[in-house]
Parts: sequence; C-alpha cells; structure tokens
Amino acid sequence: MTWLTWRQYRFQLGVAAALLAAFAVVILITGRQIAATLRANAAACAAGHPCRDVAGGGLFMGSHVIGFLVIATLSAPLLFGLFWGAPLVASELDAGTTQFAWMQSITRDRWLAIKAGWLLLAAAAWGGAISALVTWWYSPGVALGLNQFTPGHFDLVDLVPVGYAVFAMALGICAGTLLRRTLPAMAVTLAGFVAVRVIIVLWVRAHYLSAVTVTYNVLQGYTPRGDFWHLASGVIGPNGQLLPQPNNMNYFNSIPQTYLPGACSNLLGPGTSNPTPACARALSHFRGFVTYQPADRFWTFQLIETGIFVLIAAALLAVTALVLARRDA
Amino acid sequence: MIPAIETRGLCKQYRHVTALSECTITVPQERISALIGPNGAGKTTLLRLLAGLARPTSGEAKMLGDIPRQHPAFLAEVGFLAQEIPLYRRFTAEDHIGIGARLNQRWDAAFVRDRLRSLKVPLDRAAGSLSGGQRAQLALALTLAKKPRLLLLDEPVAALDPLARRNFLAILAEAVAGDGVTAVVSSHLLADMERVSDHLILLAESRVQLCDDIDTLLAEHRVLRGPRQSITAIEKSHTVVQATHTDRQTTLLVRGNAPVLDPAWESDEVGLEEMVLAYMGQDAAPTEPHLTAVGEEQ
Repeated sequence: MTWLTWRQYRFQLGVAAALLAAFAVVILITGRQIAATLRANAAACAAGHPCRDVAGGGLFMGSHVIGFLVIATLSAPLLFGLFWGAPLVASELDAGTTQFAWMQSITRDRWLAIKAGWLLLAAAAWGGAISALVTWWYSPGVALGLNQFTPGHFDLVDLVPVGYAVFAMALGICAGTLLRRTLPAMAVTLAGFVAVRVIIVLWVRAHYLSAVTVTYNVLQGYTPRGDFWHLASGVIGPNGQLLPQPNNMNYFNSIPQTYLPGACSNLLGPGTSNPTPACARALSHFRGFVTYQPADRFWTFQLIETGIFVLIAAALLAVTALVLARRDA
Repeated sequence: MIPAIETRGLCKQYRHVTALSECTITVPQERISALIGPNGAGKTTLLRLLAGLARPTSGEAKMLGDIPRQHPAFLAEVGFLAQEIPLYRRFTAEDHIGIGARLNQRWDAAFVRDRLRSLKVPLDRAAGSLSGGQRAQLALALTLAKKPRLLLLDEPVAALDPLARRNFLAILAEAVAGDGVTAVVSSHLLADMERVSDHLILLAESRVQLCDDIDTLLAEHRVLRGPRQSITAIEKSHTVVQATHTDRQTTLLVRGNAPVLDPAWESDEVGLEEMVLAYMGQDAAPTEPHLTAVGEEQ
C-alpha cells in the first residue's frame, strides 16, 4: 500500500519538493542579507556614527515581494488540503478505482490508514520545513521587537503551521469522503479551513489561558515584561467607571482631558508636566490597568493551538474511517 | 460441501428505489452461474452485495459460509470485477500487477503477463491509453490473478469482441474446472453465457425469478400446446409462466412435473433461451425491444 501511495503521489511530491527547494533558496539568500544589514547598522550605532534606526529602511529587503511571499506561506497548509487531501478518497471514488483497490486483500481501514498516514506525514513535514525557514527568516525582526503574538506572525512560525497542515489535510480527506467528488470537496476544504482559522484567531486564541490583568498607579505607569500580548488597557475613574478613550482628545497618562480632576487642569497646558500635590492626591483615585498574555506563554500558546488543530484533524479522520467502513463503495 | 453462495432475503434499498428485493439464492461450489436479467434488474446490486462493496438493507449473504466483511481473509477469497472496469488511468499493466502483488497474499503475476502478451496487450502503456477491449482484458486478468475461490464478474464480456469473448469464457471455464472456483457472471444476454454456464440466476424487476442448475430448471419446465382454451385447469397443478394465445392455439410455458392429464395438451421440452425469455417477458414493461419482438412471435 505504501508502494501504491508512492506511485500515486510521487509526481506531486516531486513538484512540492521542487517548490520547497526554490522557496528555501529565496529565504536563505534574503535571510542572510537581512542579518548582515542588521549587524552593520548595529555596529554603526555602537561606533557612534550617525545612528540610523537599527532596523534601517531595508531590513526586510525593502522587497515587498519577499515579504509577501513569506506572508503567503499562511496559505501553504491549505494547498496541502486542497491538492493532497480533497482528492485522496474522492478522486478514487469518482474514478471507481476504489472498486479495484478495495477488492484486493486489504481492508478499507488499512487502505485509508496507510494512504492518509503517509500524506499527512508529508504535509506535516512540508509544513514544518516551511515554518522552520520562515521562523529563521523572521528571527532578526523578532530580536528587534516584532511582536511574537501578532496574528500573521504567530501563525507563520514554529509549531502551529504543522498543526494547520495536518488539519487542512484531514479536512480535505473527510470532505472528499463525504462528498465523493473532488471539486466540491476542494471548495468545502477552502471554506472550512479559512473559517476555522479565522474563528480561532479572532475569538479563541486569546483565551487559551486566562489573561493577566495588572492595575497600577496612573502616575507611575506599568509595562509588562518582554514581548507580551497586549489585549486591553485603559483607566478606571474614581467612581469605578471605565473611562472612554475618544480619538480627538488630549490625554494625560491615558486619562482623557474631560475626566481630569479640576486640580490637574494645568497638566494639559503648554509647558507644564508635573502634577501639583493636590492634583496627585486627586489622581490617586484613578487606576490604570493592562490586560495581557505574558511573553513567556508563547510556546504554551503554540502548543495549545497546535493541539487544537491536531485534535480537530483526528476527529475528522475518525469520521472518514467510519463513513468509509459503513458506506457503499 | 457448503454452498459457494447462499443468500437469505437479501434486500437493497436506495433512497426511493428498491434495487434488489427478497433475494434468496444458493449457488453450489464449482459452478459457473450465469446471472441474467434485463438492464436495471439488480444484477450489479446483487454482485456488489456479495462482494461486500455494498451493504444490504436487510437479509444476509454468505460466501463460502462467510458473511461479506472487511477482513483480508474474506477479501482474498472473493474476486470482483465491476462493469466500469476500474483501473488507474495513469498506471501501466505492470504497475497494476505490482499493486496486486503487494496487496494480496496469493498473486499470480506470471498469469497476467502471459495472458496479456498472448493477447498483445502492451504491459508498459498507461491503462487510460489502452482500448476498451484491452482494458477489459487487463482487468479480467488482474481479477483472475488474485486466485479467488469466488469470482463475481459484472458484464465482463460487454467490452470484448466475439472472438475475445469466446477466448475469455474458455479461460474462465478452465479456471473453474481446475481450481475449484465458483463464478457468477452477469450479462443481459443469455447467449454470452449459454456455452459455459451450468447454473442460472435470473433476475427481473429486482426479484429472483429462477435460481438453480440449468439441467434442473429445464427438467422442471415444459411447453404445452393445444387448441385455444381456458387455462384454469392447468393452473391448478402447474405454475403457468407464460401463456400465448392465437386465434386457434394456446401455448403455455409451465413449471411443475405433475402429469398433464388432459389429452388436448401436447407437451414438449423447453429450450433454455425460450424459458429465460418467458420469465423476462413475464413482468410488465420489458426493457429491451427485442425481447418484446420475440414474445410476440410465439
């Protein structure tokens, strides 16, 4: 069965390998240039020369094409689902070759397990390889403070792309089995993958662990350590109400002008910055707060998100196996 | 010896269509059974149920005492060739031989190669580029190479020219005689199968009309001819399969060995084709025009 799977997919695996190799070349060349630029800028700063922003103008190659290519790897898992997953069962049902394969001395369970197993492995490997390259390419940017939790960055690096690839494959396989035709299965895979990813990013990811909320004295301010994920912040007024933060207003330490106590009216005037003792007393009734996910939860979040997608994939594959065993060929 | 095939009350219902209804048949071992019936009679459904590719809505089938199931031991014993001749379009004959060799414990690769060479079917060309007849030959050879004890072939000769048909049926007869194989071969025309089969399953309108050894069936049926008359008396002792009346004469095909006492009836042996056509034409709306024509002739 391994041999049959290899014979069926060797061309596609070859194409995928070629694309991956081309991608690797681009990433390695541009990645080295980024690192070199960064070192040069840092050295110039240290030497006391007119110090440009370390990141410089052209950190990410000044090339939008490469940047776009890297961002486009967000869709790589989807491609596995569309071109390997969706046809995996559907194309055989469609062509009737299941009537050949399933009449050899191999059970459908085994047929599915081996065929899907190898391709899931391939998708995971490719997803992992792309992710490794992208992670390496981004590392100078992360060192310079590109937030590691940013959607569109978190989703591109380390472990989660492997989870997405496995999920997209399983979704494709399951849709193909239920719909029995490749094209509709591809459409469902596309819609399902995007929907699940968007739901997770927008509404689920921030809640993997309960967020930390810190309240602080508005006169002192507070910034969480490291590369944290900022979820919410603001100021709570003396009556415990959350102060609105309209755009077209002046602020003092996040307190909108209109909510400043009378004793502090001078704070917003030109040339003054230190609150009077009376003002400071009034401001002690204001509390600033910040709600965030601490920086050191990055890997926990990566593991949780990967786990979620792998679990959904497992459920989809279980449904596939059940349907294949019970439904007519 | 347990029967090769035994079904009890096998039914297959698709959403709104009954494909097979109350199918109870027995096929002893080492027969070549002709599964005959007009298009849409349920032949393919029956074969797919027997192969385990489809699951019955109710009833049960036993193949050599074993209910069709997903188990290598069962699958190894049953060879099925679908009417559509499913092959991997981009794979060559050699590739298919390779697949069979890896997915079966018993596998006679040499048989396939010899057979295809003798038929001048290229081993190294993609199945999709072979002619319909060549594809059929390849698929048949692959089905036989698995060496199953039960062969289920759905319209295997439909894509073959007359010479290739004869040749294939000879191979089939050889396989059954030599290796204790039982085959059920469907066709909508009896003529294809008459020469090699010794057992008959006749399906019409999703129901089994006849199922027995051909010799037994012929012995049970008779043609009665007599002056035009009512058939009520005969119906008491025999099953009237078909009655044809002309102005002067009544011709009956009856089943049953009870003696016919009325001297007005002249009794005759029945031919296989005549008997089969009578059963096919018995139900309303025969699907094939030529059957109607034969019926009127009588």
